[in-house]
Amino acid sequence: MFYIIGKSVFRKEALDKVTGAAKYTGDYNITGLLHASIVASPYAHAEIKQILTSEAWKVPGVYAIVTGKQCPILTGSPILDRPPIALDKVRYHGEPVALIVADSEQATRKAAALIKVDYIPLDVVNSPNDAIKSNAPLIHENLKDYKLLEEVYPEPGTNIANRTKIRKGDLKKGWAKSQITIESNISFPQSDHVAMETRCSIAQIKPDGEVIIYTSTQTPFTVKRLISLYFNIEPRKVTVKTPLVGGAFGGKTSVQLEILAYIASKSVGGRAVKMLNSREEDMITSPVHIGLDAKVKLGCTTEGKITVAEITHLFDSGAYSDRGAIISRAAAVDCSGPYTIDNLWCDSLCLYTNHPNAVAFRGFGHLELTFAIERAMDILADQLNMDPLELRLKNAIIPGNTTPTQTLLNSSNIGNLPACLKRLRELIHWDEGRRIPIGNNKVRAKGVSCIWKNSNTPINASGGAILTFNHDGSINLHTGAIEIGQGTKTVLAQILAERMKMDISKIHVHMEVDTRIDPEHWKTAASRTIYLVGNAVLEAAEDAMHQLKMTASRVLNISTQDLDVSESRVFWRQDPRVGLGFESVGSQVIGRGRFVMKGLTGLDPETGKGNPGPEWTVGAQAVEVELDLKEYTYKILKAVTVIDAGKVLNPEAAKGQITGGMNLGLSFSSREYFIFNDNGIIQNPQLRTYKILHFGENPEYIVDFVETPQMDAPYGSRGIGEHGVIGMPAALASALSAAVQVPLNFMPLLPEFIWKTKGGVRSDSI
Amino acid sequence: MIPFDFEYYKPASMMEAVDTFRLLNTQGKAPLYFNGGTEIITMARRSHIFTEAVIDIKGIPECNTLYIQNEKLVIGASVALTQLEESNIFPLLGRASRKVADHTVRNKLTVGGNICGRITFREAVLPFLLSDSKVVLAEQTGIRNVPINQVFNKTLNLEEGEFLVQLVTDVGYSQFPFMSIKKTKQEKSAYPLISIDSLKKDGQIRFAFSGVCPFPFRSSNIEQVLNDKTIPLELRINKALSILPAPINNNIEASAEYREFVLKNTLSDIILMLGGRN
Repeated sequence: MFYIIGKSVFRKEALDKVTGAAKYTGDYNITGLLHASIVASPYAHAEIKQILTSEAWKVPGVYAIVTGKQCPILTGSPILDRPPIALDKVRYHGEPVALIVADSEQATRKAAALIKVDYIPLDVVNSPNDAIKSNAPLIHENLKDYKLLEEVYPEPGTNIANRTKIRKGDLKKGWAKSQITIESNISFPQSDHVAMETRCSIAQIKPDGEVIIYTSTQTPFTVKRLISLYFNIEPRKVTVKTPLVGGAFGGKTSVQLEILAYIASKSVGGRAVKMLNSREEDMITSPVHIGLDAKVKLGCTTEGKITVAEITHLFDSGAYSDRGAIISRAAAVDCSGPYTIDNLWCDSLCLYTNHPNAVAFRGFGHLELTFAIERAMDILADQLNMDPLELRLKNAIIPGNTTPTQTLLNSSNIGNLPACLKRLRELIHWDEGRRIPIGNNKVRAKGVSCIWKNSNTPINASGGAILTFNHDGSINLHTGAIEIGQGTKTVLAQILAERMKMDISKIHVHMEVDTRIDPEHWKTAASRTIYLVGNAVLEAAEDAMHQLKMTASRVLNISTQDLDVSESRVFWRQDPRVGLGFESVGSQVIGRGRFVMKGLTGLDPETGKGNPGPEWTVGAQAVEVELDLKEYTYKILKAVTVIDAGKVLNPEAAKGQITGGMNLGLSFSSREYFIFNDNGIIQNPQLRTYKILHFGENPEYIVDFVETPQMDAPYGSRGIGEHGVIGMPAALASALSAAVQVPLNFMPLLPEFIWKTKGGVRSDSI
Repeated sequence: MIPFDFEYYKPASMMEAVDTFRLLNTQGKAPLYFNGGTEIITMARRSHIFTEAVIDIKGIPECNTLYIQNEKLVIGASVALTQLEESNIFPLLGRASRKVADHTVRNKLTVGGNICGRITFREAVLPFLLSDSKVVLAEQTGIRNVPINQVFNKTLNLEEGEFLVQLVTDVGYSQFPFMSIKKTKQEKSAYPLISIDSLKKDGQIRFAFSGVCPFPFRSSNIEQVLNDKTIPLELRINKALSILPAPINNNIEASAEYREFVLKNTLSDIILMLGGRN
């Protein structure tokens, strides 16, 4: 029996949010605050001949104009490949070429319009396929000289920023055993996260050299580490503060605007400077969602047992590698999808192109790899004339199998995929038929996708928690976890309330994270916050309870072994009336907890062998559509996810997370993309023409859970933060492909593109 | 945030408005008449519009009319599109209004602004073209009352300093069968691939188009062809497409080929629904 785990507790910040009292970075204002804006490149690839600033200086209120020449450093993670302000050449449309600091945002914008830049256009690398051509223009001529911060393998003289190799089993044997083979190619361009809050950073350098950065980020501790590294500042002198974040979806794991804000502050003697992205800047100047072209070859027996797979990922990571290099690795690590494939080959490449640079997007490479493998699974099922759900069930990965990186699976480090698939089959009424004509030129069709995901954190990723007590016996919970709308802070309070068996209303969660006060947490990313910080909270609870018992034991003269804790009291187990409330024994107590990943390894550069993360969450997803065969327009009727959550800690919050993920995945796959012209210029860098799924256009969402506990996670819970998004694009493509009876291997799945795939001719048969 | 400063005037009468315009114009302030502001604000934010002065015409009583008088609907230019939807005074216009932007924007976006703005779709004009409405225009020399089909050619052809005050429509038009169809790329609230309003009067179907070509239009030649029951429907449609006033739009919303495909389907649907079958 659980005390509060498994109950749908309201979010701690709910009242602030629904009343508008919640504060975000952009709301922060201090006396004397200056503002900074950028001048963005109108070219995707061009040499900068000269920058004329004299007219801009005439705008009243301008304090500083900074160009790349004034800060010729290189930034980036894992590859130091990026000048914060373009130096000598621009590599994407929207790249900052100058930074203006003024006493109002208006003055910065006025001045920005008056800066004259002369460019000499260069040939553009406009797709990953262009990027790997032997005669492709080089985007980074000095790739060999760049410093690397992590395990990453750039190939100088090419546009390859990273290559991850997976070599498992014996391909020859695999192909020899296979009787049926298929090949499938998929492609989708870059897109945006479109978080409601555009990115905002405020930087200030105090007279004693202390740097304070307020920023909307998922990674305040990384901001601290990288600002300190890039600008050679002692870490103790960098403090990063992050209040509530208004949506991130991975887009706020990159350190970008913070660097510009720091440079801006430095240019005006350390005064506080605010940089607030306009929506258009947030879409193309700041990092975006990665694009992918992929090829998957599968071989299987006539019974549908997959014997071999060869997979090539060409990621469009844009002008600077940023996290794209690690995303491409993550996509290699789980490239097979949740299927057991003994003979496996994968090359996953992160490519430089003249597009905006990519950063994490919810799922971190998994939505992408899943689209590639799942489209191939559908094509294989067609070839086999086998039910696609059966094919997935037949090859589902289970304990005893090994992953692409040759990690042996057990019932703790992987969930129960067959159970998810079976439940999905019921919820989507799979057996009533995959494609049902309903008259009037319309057809209803269903598609499925399996999902799995492990994290690709550093092997020592960690979390921490500190508990302090108030005079009324209530507890303050301090952690480094960021509230990005996912409800983590509330669930952490639940974990604490459960362990201490106390009323959750007596646990106060501090929403803002301050790197000087709060214990370090790797990043609020990778669906790992409950695992890392939740485990730290449990340790902090143990530590606090130990101290409470020690104090109470002295007062009550009862041994600590005979004391127990619940309902904010320490009491004698034999006679619970004898005891002390936290208000009398808590004031001296500080509970401390920490947790570090265990047993992870790097990957062998030649085979990819290694253990990338603590567990694979698995699930199965389905989409049902109604499509008009005359015009190829469609409605998404239903979207279903069944996921092995290990243990559902807060059912409504968990459903909300999964549903939000599904919505993001359907929006992305049905309409979101950047339209590049032949010169690499983005044609739709604004929400007038870049469309996202709106409320009312959403389907019915159905979420259900399977619970196979992960042994070392808080109450057995598995990471589920990102997972709703992962299989939605593939499931939508699967449903639409079934509807039009042609494989649709691209995104976005727009009616026009479906019409084109059908040959642009009217279909007259159902 | 709008990166430039501008003056704001709110005249109380038509004459005050045109006088203000003339004065500001002579001062070289490139004044703009301002109604709901949805377009000026969003375009100014991105520096796609520049002005040193705006003249808000929402304070002019004639611009806010929404009534029937002497068998005429009199719709002020400052009436917001949601008002038109909700009043249901002219059902086709109500339906056509709903095709523009989204509900929140339509609370501000006015019928006059939609017709006179820079965004080329101007879908609110289509019902007025179909109903042979008249426009009331105010300028220095006084008020003009002109058939819309005379002064609307791609855009409303206004003299310098002139502005749209009202649209006047015979009330009988609100009784005729109609269809109002908008097709988009994917999202409901988006620019149209094609937007067609149609109305059947005296056995003839009238058509007005937006999104098909770079401007909205109604063409009597096209109407004649599409109503010619002596030729099969498919041929009629092909013939109509051959006499469009400009090549079909080819842009980020859709290719010309796909637009043509959608246009053919939609015309066929409309003609079948409104009983124009052979």
